[in-house]
Amino acid sequence: MYEGGIYRTNYKEIDMENTSQVPVTVLTGFLGAGKTTLLNRILTEQHGRKYAVIVNEFGEQGIDNDLVVDADEEVFEMNNGCICCTVRGDLIRILSGLMKRADKLDAIIVETTGLADPAPVAQTFFVDQDVADRTKLDAIVTVADAVHLSSQLVDHHEAEEQIAFADVILLNKVELVEDNDIVKVNDRIRKINPFAKIIKTTRCDAPLDEIVGLNAFSLDRVLDIEPDFLESDHDHEHDDDVTSLSFVSDTPLDMDKFQVWFGNLLRTKGQDILRSKGILNFKGEEERYVFQGVHMLMDASPMGPWPKGKNRSSRVVFIGRDLDNMNLKEGFENCKSA
Amino acid sequence: MNADLEKLQETNKTELERRGSIFNIGAPAIEAVTIRNQIAVGFGDGTVRFFQSGFEPKTVKAHKGVVLSMANYADDVLTGGDDGRFLKISSDGNIEEIFNFGSKWVDCVASHKDTKVCSSGKTVYIWTKNRDKPQTLDHQSTVAGLAFDNKGKRLAVSRYGGVTVWKLNNNKWTASNYTWKGSHGTVTFSPDTKYIVTAMQENQIHGWRINDKADLAMRGYPSKIKSFTWVGDTPYLVTSGSSDAVCWPFDGKEGPMGRKPIVVANGGKELATFVKALNGEKAVFTGFTDGSVLLAEIDESKKPIMIRNSTGAEVSTIAISSDNSQILIGDMKGSILLSSLWADN
Repeated sequence: MYEGGIYRTNYKEIDMENTSQVPVTVLTGFLGAGKTTLLNRILTEQHGRKYAVIVNEFGEQGIDNDLVVDADEEVFEMNNGCICCTVRGDLIRILSGLMKRADKLDAIIVETTGLADPAPVAQTFFVDQDVADRTKLDAIVTVADAVHLSSQLVDHHEAEEQIAFADVILLNKVELVEDNDIVKVNDRIRKINPFAKIIKTTRCDAPLDEIVGLNAFSLDRVLDIEPDFLESDHDHEHDDDVTSLSFVSDTPLDMDKFQVWFGNLLRTKGQDILRSKGILNFKGEEERYVFQGVHMLMDASPMGPWPKGKNRSSRVVFIGRDLDNMNLKEGFENCKSA
Repeated sequence: MNADLEKLQETNKTELERRGSIFNIGAPAIEAVTIRNQIAVGFGDGTVRFFQSGFEPKTVKAHKGVVLSMANYADDVLTGGDDGRFLKISSDGNIEEIFNFGSKWVDCVASHKDTKVCSSGKTVYIWTKNRDKPQTLDHQSTVAGLAFDNKGKRLAVSRYGGVTVWKLNNNKWTASNYTWKGSHGTVTFSPDTKYIVTAMQENQIHGWRINDKADLAMRGYPSKIKSFTWVGDTPYLVTSGSSDAVCWPFDGKEGPMGRKPIVVANGGKELATFVKALNGEKAVFTGFTDGSVLLAEIDESKKPIMIRNSTGAEVSTIAISSDNSQILIGDMKGSILLSSLWADN
């Protein structure tokens, strides 16, 4: 994994056929949103699959299973000069332990405490080589309380981050909310994160195959970005609100210019950029390049030739704070090849 | 099988493979400790198996999940498991539960004479002779490594941010902190107890000179260091984590400060995953990611000897019997090679 955005051409770890990597689903959401309900469903509806569940020490009671592991949520700073690079030390220890089991796990679910920042969990999968070799981050799933989300977003920036990081958002307890209020909270979520899949649920009753085993962090999935989604309006009141921005270009990009700009951007603004994703069309390159990032860390690789008859357009997406002050549009425009 | 092929496979075997026995356990070999002429191995299926030349291995079903850590304790072994149990196991299959931590894992175990130690979470538990209840030592973060010095007077506890060295005086433990940013794992005292060294979360090892807490940073590795061993009289601290066995000299006043390590036992594109000193010799066994094992002298001009061929699974443990006669090599797929180190007369 690289810090600061360098392309590697010889990508080894993200091997889609490599079944020895156990998928890990990270479950976030405020206390009372319904995480425990979902965990109990995952544990009781295993359908012959073997899931290990790593729960936080402040978790609600009521989960009892041999494959439930207590975690301490110890956040460690890495010694690699990357200022925002924190990882979950306990997760490294527990995942390494689980990988020594004789029986193979089908998936691992990591529950985080209500106020947890999802970044250290996600970064663990980028930074620690042992974790990256044996497991892969499958998706970040956030359980949101349809009744309380709006007020939580005002009071706790962690709530905003949990929405911003999510690949899937379970908008739970919709039965307790009027229809037009659901539309409002849905729009609020979309403003923060236009890419996550939102599933409206009662008692977290979404099909498990829409939650576990999604491969949302696979670089392949970056290609799923729908350009229509990216027309985000972003009139907002506070500068520290999490918003998203996206750019599209039909002019091929200059690889050198992009690397310099993007590398510098992540290095200097990575703390405010929560997630970044993109598909890139470089001048003189037959293959599509894709990337996916969490703060300063990112993965990138060529992803096969462009589909015949389709527009070779580059698309990049940012979710973060203070995006307006990063000259993102200008920076991206300057990467266009002459 | 075609006779020629059989002959070819036979000739491709190493000397130790030819005269040894291979067992396929089917669960990852986690750790091995030596008890006299037996070698006890903890596996990823919760079993502890006792291997001895000329005998079938004896299997003890010890833990529910994984044997996370092991230490020898007189003629028994201590084990910690992910079922929360801290056990004393004898080779006749007798299991004594020293403590049950419930849903918390027992991550590390250690022993010195009749003192039994384990860690679970941020706390170290010490059982000494004539005491029913353990003494406890608390730390700010989860304990990731335990090591006694050779006299059993000091216990090094590695954790996030450094190492706490606990000293035993009049039955009381007092702490001294050795600080270095980052997360510290396995820990070891040098044989002369002048240094402590840890393997870090990053691709480096870190050491401290105990008397003045001077730092020693040993970097440049392409991967995490999972194993180290003290070799010879110099002594050298030999580590895994690179395509060679990396040997840092710990002689003189300054140890490896400002010096380059010797590198032996090149594994080509494979990385070293486990190292083990050959007792009494200036030589080290180095196991690699592909399962192969080389024996090399700490001398860059000497050619290493192939001990075990590739098995396709990384070497996770190597142990040598107390009388230096037997070697056991285990890998992450559960293949065990048990062989005599020396040719029969």
